[in-house]
Amino acid sequence: MKTIPPPCSEPLSGQRYWRSLDQLADSPEFQQWVEREFPAGASEFSDPIGRRHFIKIMSASFLLAGLGVTGCRRPEEKILPFGKAPENFIHGVAQFYATAMPTRGSAIPLVVKAHDGRPTKIEGNKDHPDSNGATDTFAQASILGLYDPDRSQRFTKGGNEVPREQAFDALKQLAAAVAANGGAGLAFLVERSSSPSRARLRDLIMQKFSKAQWIIYEPLHLEMNRTVAGNLAGQPLSPYYKLDAAKVILSLDCDFIGSEQDTYIHCRNYARGRKITKPTDTMNRLYSVEGLLTQTGMNADHRLRVPTTSALAVTAAIAAQIVDNPQVKALAGKFALPSNVKQEWIVECANDLKANQGASLVMAGYRQPGAVHVLANLINAALQNNGKTVLFLNTPQEAATGTITDLANGLRNGQVNTLVVLGGNPVLNAPADFDWKTLQRRAQNIVRLGYYEDETFPITDWHFPMAHYLESWGDARTADGTLVAIQPLIAPLFGGVTELEVLGVFAGLQSLRPYDIARETFGLLAGGDSSDVAWKKFLHNGFLANSAAAPVNAAFAPDKITSALNSAAAADLPAKEKLEIVFQRDYKIDDGRYNNNGWLQELPDPITKTVWDGLVLVSRVTAADYGVVNDDVVEIELNGRKIQGPIWIQPGLADYSVSLALGYGRQRSSTGGTGRVGDKVGLYNGYDLRTTASEHAAVGGKLRRTGAVYKVACTQEHGSMEGRPIIREATLEQFKKKPDFAKNMDLESHSDYVPKDPKTGFPVMIYEHPYKGFELRKGQSGVKLTGLKFASDIHQWGMSIDLNACVGCSSCVLACQSENNVPIVGKEQVYRNREMHWLRIDRYFSGAYDRAKPQLIDDPQVVNQPMLCQHCENAPCESVCPVNATVHDEEGLNVMAYNRCVGTRYCSNNCPYKVRRFNFFDYNKRQLGPKLYKNPITTVGDDGKWELARWWNDPASSSRPEDEWELSKLVKNPDVTVRMRGVMEKCTFCVQRIEGAKIAQKVKVGQSGDVRVPDGVITPACAQACPAEAIVFGNMLDPNSRVSQLKRQERDYTVLGFLDTRPRLTYLARLRNPNPKMPDYYETPLNIAEYEKREGGGEGGGYGGGHGEPNNPEAKPAAEKGIH
Amino acid sequence: MAEVLIKDVPVVPRTPAELERIPLVRNRRSLGWVSDAIAGIVEGKTPAWWWMAFIPAFTLMIVCFSCITYLMTTGVGVWGLMIPVAWAWDITNFVFWIGIGHAGTLISAILFLLRQRWRTSINRAAEAMTIFAVICAGVFPLIHIGRIWLGWWLLPLPNANSIWPQFRSPLLWDVFAVSTYFTVSLLFWYMGLIPDLATMRDRARTRIRKILYGLGALGWTGSNRHWSNYEKAYLILAGLSTPLVLSVHSIVSFDFAVSQVPGWHTTIFPPYFVAGAIFSGFGMVLSLLVPLRTLCKLQDVITVRHVDLMCKVIMATGSMVGYAYGMEFFIAWYSGNPYELYAFKNRAFGPYAWAYWTMISCNVICPQLFWSKTLRTNMVFVFIISIFVNIGMWFERFVIIVTSLHRDYIPSNWAYYRPTWVDIWTFIGTFGLFLTLFLLFMRFLPMIAISEVKGVTPQADPHHPLGGAKLGGQH
Repeated sequence: MKTIPPPCSEPLSGQRYWRSLDQLADSPEFQQWVEREFPAGASEFSDPIGRRHFIKIMSASFLLAGLGVTGCRRPEEKILPFGKAPENFIHGVAQFYATAMPTRGSAIPLVVKAHDGRPTKIEGNKDHPDSNGATDTFAQASILGLYDPDRSQRFTKGGNEVPREQAFDALKQLAAAVAANGGAGLAFLVERSSSPSRARLRDLIMQKFSKAQWIIYEPLHLEMNRTVAGNLAGQPLSPYYKLDAAKVILSLDCDFIGSEQDTYIHCRNYARGRKITKPTDTMNRLYSVEGLLTQTGMNADHRLRVPTTSALAVTAAIAAQIVDNPQVKALAGKFALPSNVKQEWIVECANDLKANQGASLVMAGYRQPGAVHVLANLINAALQNNGKTVLFLNTPQEAATGTITDLANGLRNGQVNTLVVLGGNPVLNAPADFDWKTLQRRAQNIVRLGYYEDETFPITDWHFPMAHYLESWGDARTADGTLVAIQPLIAPLFGGVTELEVLGVFAGLQSLRPYDIARETFGLLAGGDSSDVAWKKFLHNGFLANSAAAPVNAAFAPDKITSALNSAAAADLPAKEKLEIVFQRDYKIDDGRYNNNGWLQELPDPITKTVWDGLVLVSRVTAADYGVVNDDVVEIELNGRKIQGPIWIQPGLADYSVSLALGYGRQRSSTGGTGRVGDKVGLYNGYDLRTTASEHAAVGGKLRRTGAVYKVACTQEHGSMEGRPIIREATLEQFKKKPDFAKNMDLESHSDYVPKDPKTGFPVMIYEHPYKGFELRKGQSGVKLTGLKFASDIHQWGMSIDLNACVGCSSCVLACQSENNVPIVGKEQVYRNREMHWLRIDRYFSGAYDRAKPQLIDDPQVVNQPMLCQHCENAPCESVCPVNATVHDEEGLNVMAYNRCVGTRYCSNNCPYKVRRFNFFDYNKRQLGPKLYKNPITTVGDDGKWELARWWNDPASSSRPEDEWELSKLVKNPDVTVRMRGVMEKCTFCVQRIEGAKIAQKVKVGQSGDVRVPDGVITPACAQACPAEAIVFGNMLDPNSRVSQLKRQERDYTVLGFLDTRPRLTYLARLRNPNPKMPDYYETPLNIAEYEKREGGGEGGGYGGGHGEPNNPEAKPAAEKGIH
Repeated sequence: MAEVLIKDVPVVPRTPAELERIPLVRNRRSLGWVSDAIAGIVEGKTPAWWWMAFIPAFTLMIVCFSCITYLMTTGVGVWGLMIPVAWAWDITNFVFWIGIGHAGTLISAILFLLRQRWRTSINRAAEAMTIFAVICAGVFPLIHIGRIWLGWWLLPLPNANSIWPQFRSPLLWDVFAVSTYFTVSLLFWYMGLIPDLATMRDRARTRIRKILYGLGALGWTGSNRHWSNYEKAYLILAGLSTPLVLSVHSIVSFDFAVSQVPGWHTTIFPPYFVAGAIFSGFGMVLSLLVPLRTLCKLQDVITVRHVDLMCKVIMATGSMVGYAYGMEFFIAWYSGNPYELYAFKNRAFGPYAWAYWTMISCNVICPQLFWSKTLRTNMVFVFIISIFVNIGMWFERFVIIVTSLHRDYIPSNWAYYRPTWVDIWTFIGTFGLFLTLFLLFMRFLPMIAISEVKGVTPQADPHHPLGGAKLGGQH
């Protein structure tokens, strides 16, 4: 976090304009300067950016320093010195700014790191009252979107570039024209937003144009719970789930961990209920009813696999057990339950909920119809959860005048002649039955603000390039209603504008500057104190303290309940001939909006571990019935619409249910479409099949083999743990009986084979290890921790990952990618197993072990494990490197000297964890396009230059166009080396952050010599981003550090401990909390059952002690070895 | 008793037929014939078959170099390597060629020390084969690294970075072992060539030949002093080479045995690799010499007996290798280490079972056919089996390297390795390199040690009835 600037109470002089933003911003001279220097030059900005352009932006961002952002862009060679350095600016030292990433109806509070004026890394704002500094994958990857060379970069009229002023003039004329008749024929099609500024402008516009339409459209209606609660109560309500207060959670197809809104908060609160330190602690229990295997289902203690459309029937059955309402009971009798649902499951689940009145929570997912949400609300009310685990917040919400169907009708009837599309891509994602492409053209004037020149682009009259949120002024509200600031870290790279500017034209604002708009809104919302000091504090903190919405008592109108339940209709149960088609929010590209983001495209899907593809997910039974296997291309038909895609057999999916991803299968064309990264990724476009009738799920699909085969790239081909205790887990009951279960598994439990030093009791080391050396020295001479001679006596780094908290959300993977300049490699390279992620999430299904019982994988238990360099003390990689490129440092890190590496790859072969990554090609010079990794001898670049000659002239050059090449460099973290081809790389525990903190500590303490970095100061990127707080890093020499405390826990274990590699990264074993009364209760987690079966154990004392005598005191030291 | 016989019969008695040694050169060829036959290959007109072999070989060599150029300019990614299989065909080929290189030195050094005089007909060609095989082998460790231009960092050179190589790494030991082996083998080969180069010089009919062979012959005159020094040096080099035969492949096996990959981490590797190397080396010698003895009309020098003896070596080493395969399985089971056991089960029954059973068929089953003398002396059959041995030994290295790596400790890493066309053509191309060098060798240098063969003919033995001493009538 940056330091809090002192309040600027003294009169501000013009010369110090970078501190006097407001006064100066209002002065005419300054305004004029802004107009002349920056916005007016925007027409030049729409050129592909060249060096001159950079300098322009640079001067612009210097100017922006006066607007609250300190910035100096530094192109590679030409550095413009500051005439006068901005305050607190030290060249080369990163700066942090608080901002927020707007999501559909919410926002993620962020602190963004900027190097010399260019944002490089996104982190969560942990000061925000409802955030622990976590982010989700989309937030982490959004920084790459900022530097996307395929972004919309120009104002156009009918596809031809026009100057910015002309576009705005046209917009003003348009606004004036519609004003004549009160806005009749004017329609705004906007994306959902929580921005109070936008809501304010909307109100202004609606006052001015009373006949205008305001349509909010999102292909995925993640606000379903708000809509339903609002409808029932007759006032805007936002349910806020306090998962940390819940002991029993029932998810009704609600993937609150992965694909609902605000997952970063849910993950944290859910994980808090899972984290226990001792066997006597209590732990929450998660029931999940779902059709697709979601991240929530992966983490559930009990998972009921029913088709997505049958969740209503199950919900009604459960509600009938809990809610005393004859209509609910009647409803339960009305619906047929799928055959695999046991009544016992429903009864016991309901009993468990009832037993935890006030501490239980039922959540319904966005895919489910309103009736399920109503029932969930009724159950929560019946269980007296409202106000305890569910809060209803009276967050103001932007009201729409209709739905997209109304707009479609308006267009069809010719009632809409001016359409303003802000964000969104309706030609792609409007329901297919509208034929939006033709429909939209029925409007005479189409104005569009878009981030890409996408599918909607060719059908617009005026196109405005949209600014990234890191280039924008704005505001938003997070889930708890807290107002957060969106402030730019960089001037718009391509002159993009924000929604506020476009709406401001219609609202007739004097100043169209989004800064002014946001500032004014703040003035209205801040209540008593809207002074500049408060505003600065708001910008500095990134949020307005105590602005969270107040919980209200939600009284649901009985008649609304009755009518909602009356309208509940059950779909048929899917069968082989009539498959259920479910559209899912993709874990990587959302609804398609991140299609051109390479990081997200290459992020292994948390469930399937596939990349760069939209798949046709089916269950084992469905695949067997149709005789299809993975990679077979099939045709899916729904209501006469057809798509073709590759089959992927997904354990845990409901039978006869087909899951399709949205947003793939897009193409780039001369007039628009996706960018070069997303071009032709995936075979099908899920939107082609999606109509108003089948918004999220529909029954009646058909599947047909085409005979074609398509290669799907998957980063984890093997889903079974093969009975190996890589991830150790137990049920809560077992943990109570045998708290050290994790230490008594695998080969290390067998014997005390590591020779011990008789004096110290420590294992005899081949080399004196610094860490052990410290302990020995300390024992000898009572060494104090300060002023020590050896660096190794101050810090010994270690990490602990709590597998019980990790939900597998993959934020850490992208955080690491962003922090460490990890390149993407493309689908073909991933297919060859060459993905570069330093940190991967291993996902194992139980049951795949037993080939004789394939049905075991139908209802698998799933476990996740973040796997990264373990920083072994006895590192196998180090001893085999012939050139000393990977060595140990004094603080226990296993470090890579990239410059020394010649690339024998022996270290990778000898790494039991296979966490090292090799640059098989010059991945960082990867082109966007077909010339990927072509040899330079026979390749001619796009500019006609022979690649070999180019390389000969400048080995650091790239065959990418210069502007693109320069742009791609901007996202890189300058503290981390960009690796060339032929070099091995791996996790460093973010050594750059460690060193930075050590330097800062040295500077801070000066001569006093206490250079030990306090606990919690260093957070590696993965730990920073982790919403579940599962990753903890720290100094193992400090017995009070969090990592030391965690490593002392009974559940602490070492993966492959018997190899005696002594990793610094240890894991806390996973726990499950099944309900003994449930029909699918299990005494032992299935993966561990497989392990015991392999070991032939289970006799000598049961769990975790089938072999080796766990109670034998002599066996103890061997087991404890894992700690060291 | 003997005295009496000599008194009674004034002429030297004929050895009974059943005690007669099978001559190493058949048909009682004279010394002059030996010189003519062997030198004639070099001096005569280039036969058509030579061109027919050389042109494809040379083409393949060009293919090999092209593939390497592609690799160097573009990245190791042009091969099928990946994580977890970060070594595959590259190191397979390296070990394969190094293994082939073992026969030459074994024949020249160990058989020399053991006074196996039959070695003389084959040692020159086998040594040449060794050198060319080591060249082919040496290509791979160099080109397989990610930054080829920095390969010299593996050498212990004092440099500005003040960083020495890591002496704990078996790859560094490889550098020493292979370079030492290559140097000694080359010296040994060249030493043995000197008297024959002198012969070639003396027989040369053109000036250029005279000069070139003369330079190579280092002024050899055949004087007693020369021979005396020569024999001593030869013995010393034989002594030096002998441990190298054992050490090189032991050290190559350390690349695997020192690691902790299940399937690699086994103490049986050094002897097992040496046996395998000799096995494959003899296989390659047979593959080359069986056709050559016919093509060059050397059946009297490289006799059926030679082939027979080499087949016996193949049978013996093949059985050793087979024993090692079995013992690996036993130890994997006996160790009680499930990871180890899985690695071996996976070899035999996993996705690469086809490679494993190819290896077993070629290396264990095929050589057992050599229990039959009829088969051992059937040249066509021997040639076919020798090819199988080569295939089997390539697969042995492939099985060890790829099947162990593709599924090791953590199942999420598991993957299936597939070669690319560059992998395949680089490997095939090395045969082009090997054969090009070998064909050039046999065209320009005496491919059989003339002087040594002469030394083992009866005529050269004063004690033999046909030897020169017979004329004296007494011992």
